[in-house]
Amino acid sequence: MRKETREYKFDWMLWTTFAAAARLKSGTQKEYRAILKYIPYFNRMVDALLGTGEPGQKFIEICAKYMENLTFAKEKGKKTAITTFCFSPAIFYAMDIVPICLEVLSVMMTFVYKRGTAEFLDYCNEVGFTETSCSSQRGTIGAYLAGIGSDVDMFVTDTPGVCDTNANAFSFAAAYLNKPFFQLDMPPDLTGLRSNEYHREDFKALIRFLEEQTGKKLDSERLKENLRELARQDEIIAELEDLARLVPSPVPVPYNLMVYASRFLFAGMPECTGVLESMLKVARENAAKNISGLSGGVEKLRAFFCYIDHYAQNMQLWQMLDSNGICYQGNILSHFWSHNAPHVAHYHKEEAAYNINMANTDALIDSLSMINSRMPMIKSIRGPYDAPNMWLEDTLGLAKLYNADFIVYNGTPGCRNTWGMVKLLARDTEKAGYPTYIMYADAFDARVQSWEATEERFMEFLKVRRLV
Amino acid sequence: MMKEFLEASTALNNKHVTKWKKNGKKVVGYTCSYVPDEIFHAAGILPFRIRGFGATDITIGDTYFGPFICSLPKCMLQLAGEGKFNFLDGAIITPGCDSMRRLDECWRKAGSDVPGVLPPFFFHFGVPHKYSDYTIKWFTEETRRLIAAVEEHFKVEITDADLKKSIKLYNYSRRVLDRFEALRTLDAPPFSGEEALAVILAGTTMPREEYNALLEKFIASAEKSSGIKDRVRLMLVGSANDDVGMVRVMEGGKALVVADNLCFGSRFYTDQVGENGDPVFELSKRYLGHNDCPRMYGDYQRRLNILEQKVEKAKIDGVILQNIRFCDLHGAENGLFERDLEAKGIPCMRLEREYGPLVETGRMKMRVDAFIERIQQRRTIA
Amino acid sequence: MFAAGCDVGSLTSKAVIMKDGKIIESVIIKSKARPWESADEVMNIALSRAGLTMKDIKSCVGTGYGRDKISFIDEAVSEIACHGKGARWLVPSVRTVIDIGGQDCKALRLDDKGNMMKFITNDKCASGTGRFLEVMAKVMHLNLDELGEMSARSKQPITFASACTVWAQADVIQHLNDKVPIEDIAAGVNNAMASRMSTLANNIGLEKDVCMTGGVAKNNGVVNALEKHLGIRIKRIRREDPQLAGAIGAALFAAEKAGGGAK
Repeated sequence: MRKETREYKFDWMLWTTFAAAARLKSGTQKEYRAILKYIPYFNRMVDALLGTGEPGQKFIEICAKYMENLTFAKEKGKKTAITTFCFSPAIFYAMDIVPICLEVLSVMMTFVYKRGTAEFLDYCNEVGFTETSCSSQRGTIGAYLAGIGSDVDMFVTDTPGVCDTNANAFSFAAAYLNKPFFQLDMPPDLTGLRSNEYHREDFKALIRFLEEQTGKKLDSERLKENLRELARQDEIIAELEDLARLVPSPVPVPYNLMVYASRFLFAGMPECTGVLESMLKVARENAAKNISGLSGGVEKLRAFFCYIDHYAQNMQLWQMLDSNGICYQGNILSHFWSHNAPHVAHYHKEEAAYNINMANTDALIDSLSMINSRMPMIKSIRGPYDAPNMWLEDTLGLAKLYNADFIVYNGTPGCRNTWGMVKLLARDTEKAGYPTYIMYADAFDARVQSWEATEERFMEFLKVRRLV
Repeated sequence: MMKEFLEASTALNNKHVTKWKKNGKKVVGYTCSYVPDEIFHAAGILPFRIRGFGATDITIGDTYFGPFICSLPKCMLQLAGEGKFNFLDGAIITPGCDSMRRLDECWRKAGSDVPGVLPPFFFHFGVPHKYSDYTIKWFTEETRRLIAAVEEHFKVEITDADLKKSIKLYNYSRRVLDRFEALRTLDAPPFSGEEALAVILAGTTMPREEYNALLEKFIASAEKSSGIKDRVRLMLVGSANDDVGMVRVMEGGKALVVADNLCFGSRFYTDQVGENGDPVFELSKRYLGHNDCPRMYGDYQRRLNILEQKVEKAKIDGVILQNIRFCDLHGAENGLFERDLEAKGIPCMRLEREYGPLVETGRMKMRVDAFIERIQQRRTIA
Repeated sequence: MFAAGCDVGSLTSKAVIMKDGKIIESVIIKSKARPWESADEVMNIALSRAGLTMKDIKSCVGTGYGRDKISFIDEAVSEIACHGKGARWLVPSVRTVIDIGGQDCKALRLDDKGNMMKFITNDKCASGTGRFLEVMAKVMHLNLDELGEMSARSKQPITFASACTVWAQADVIQHLNDKVPIEDIAAGVNNAMASRMSTLANNIGLEKDVCMTGGVAKNNGVVNALEKHLGIRIKRIRREDPQLAGAIGAALFAAEKAGGGAK
């Protein structure tokens, strides 16, 4: 690691970066344009987000807020928990624990830094962690292993049974730094009495663990407040998802990212709701005028990403899609399976969705455990991919609902569970009539395949399959 | 006798299996040491450990699995796709790890492309990733689910009494293996690590009664041997290894692998199953609880303690921490082991390798030789 | 008393003859397809230049990948141990040895008596090896030695997008087409190499003095880039060609076995 990188706490640096970005539009347009020249490695990201107007502005603000929370957690006497994107932070907020979501921090760094998370990725290897593990955790965990981040009090994950490489990164880091560790374990089935019971007992054990770590009991009233806010967010997301079914889709391309990132950061908290409300306003306006959310105004294609996005520097994936008239119809990360989501009703998947019941503490905990077990990936990447409620069913269902013209798979070389069967998935989706493109890039590490090569191959796929 | 063990450990569909099948009996394969053998024994079915040893090519494996996947399940699928597992009447897939979990759908897809390669009984057997009261409960229910499925498909009845009898037999077997393990760690072990692995592997391919008899004969004769002296004593830790050839390369006439913590090694046979109470519950407790596998997240400290105890008991000179490329679980935990064991003055060497045909022996030998030289240098100073 | 060491590598083979602890002859040749042929040739050249025959050599140790196939050696020792031994003779204060060979790279820690403490190797991929430099130099129509001096003149080294040798090749061609100054590409290549190597070296921990052995040690561009990445000075080997370190170590082991001490 370079000396310069070690001089400041990396999360403090991220906070100041996003805080400054949040102030970019507070001057004149001329001043804004001038400043962009001084941030060559993320000016396009900032422009793409701020170009969406109020939603983008709010989104940058909540990113800054998240980083501020974790940077000053210790000062404020709060505990911090390193967690993963597919673990709903609602329980942490309810117990006054500050979450540190590894993958979102990796995305932030891949967006804004010239070298992305390269130094932290490599540092993991230096301390003995395996090089082949997923870059999404490695990119941030490297900084914490090197001791250049905020104080960490515990590690909490819910990926055993879904994603080994994720669970393994948490297990390694907790052992390396000698910190308390807790895993929510996922059985191969989503529904049924056994799974429900297992999720419930496991979540109770989680709460006992968190109470032990904080020395405080779970406050039911606080939790109810969070869940009410979460329910409000679910309504907004449901409406956004419904609007995206229109042709042309009135939802701008960067919205999908802002939906899931806001939820990963602030589920159950007003910060997320603010961004969602702002997006809904614009989407409704566009829908009323029957106009496309694309900046060019002309919708040529509809893409469904069955897995995750490519977070190469400067949000280049979204810009590529937008500039080519390809609207973004969702990915695995933006669907939370609330009971009121359009796809739940459309496909009668009530059992696979979650309800929020606040009748008593037990019902509250049950609701939380259901919310968690329905999180992106946690829901559909367990057991075999072609089992009921699993990845194939979801992919085909969503692609159909959103009228996708083609499906894209993008992940990382560290993604053992998908690389183990993505060829099978593609066979099935092709058979169902969807041209399917498997990207061999690394969503968090452009050193594996440069963005230029990635974009070239993507466009080549569209040409060869006569989509453009 | 060693020839018997070697044959059983290197030939698929060995003579024990062919004889078993000729008598009209069934064989069910399983990929992971979490599956209770006793269930099949109680049903009169031969439990057979599925391995990838013997694959000389990986094209079928690569057709279904993507790149960036460990070669262990790929080799297993390769053999399956070539029809080499057609003698199996059933297969149990467990989520030992993500790559192994995906063997389920890959094998099924291969089965739809190539008729006959998918066994008629194909079962996904879930295993929790931690040990606690509600996980044992879930695992007990899962084991009952497996039993019910076996009963239905093979038209057999597996009573508690049958299970208890099988448990007793396997417990006896485990006690015999304990004696075998004790011989491995003598100051002058009567057999090499290569031979030890052949003995252990053979147990996964033949009826337990026959195995017990062979094993006892072997131990009786080994106890009389003067033993192998003056070798550097190594412990082998990490990803699955079922290739006696690899151990031979590592031992290379200069060292002996006298202990291990491998899935195809001592992890497979330690600890007894409780013989009182509900046999399904007792099986679940032992199979979920004894397995020192990094898939049980958060349990590193306990596994480290086990290694430290083994180092002391077997008077280990050096630990080889190997992992198959793309094996994140062992690959990462080996890094922690290296840090903590070296800090206690125990020499360690990390080695990354491929699973499959033994082709990179030169590279491996060079590293192990250097490690042995390092250990010998230490000895001359001391 | 004459002792000899023979190091058969994938790209080059080396022979060293020592008398009473001093090098009297050393040879480096390009390796042939068969290791025993390379060994025979390089040792014959060394012997004839020294005016000796194999009978005059009291003890001979072989190392390198082909070591077990050499007919005239008394013993084979791993190249890791030999590089360590040789580096210590070349630079008595050395504690960390970094060797980048043709097809693998290794880092090695020595204690104050010169004994091996820890080592790490990585050859699952060409990126951190001499092969990477060879491939890149070829694409740029440069000799390997030119790569070093070119990069010293660079004002703005390029950053390689990809860690993979195959992809990096495509990147180099792209840069050449874009008329990027050759010095900048050369510097980028050396940086990519150094970056990969430094991750390995940091894994075993660095202790002064740090030295580089092997052919790549003669590429100033890589050595400078590695110093920058590691944040520690690399003591240059001046006593002999650093590429001979393995063969020197082998000869020293041979001398020890024959009963003669070596300084």
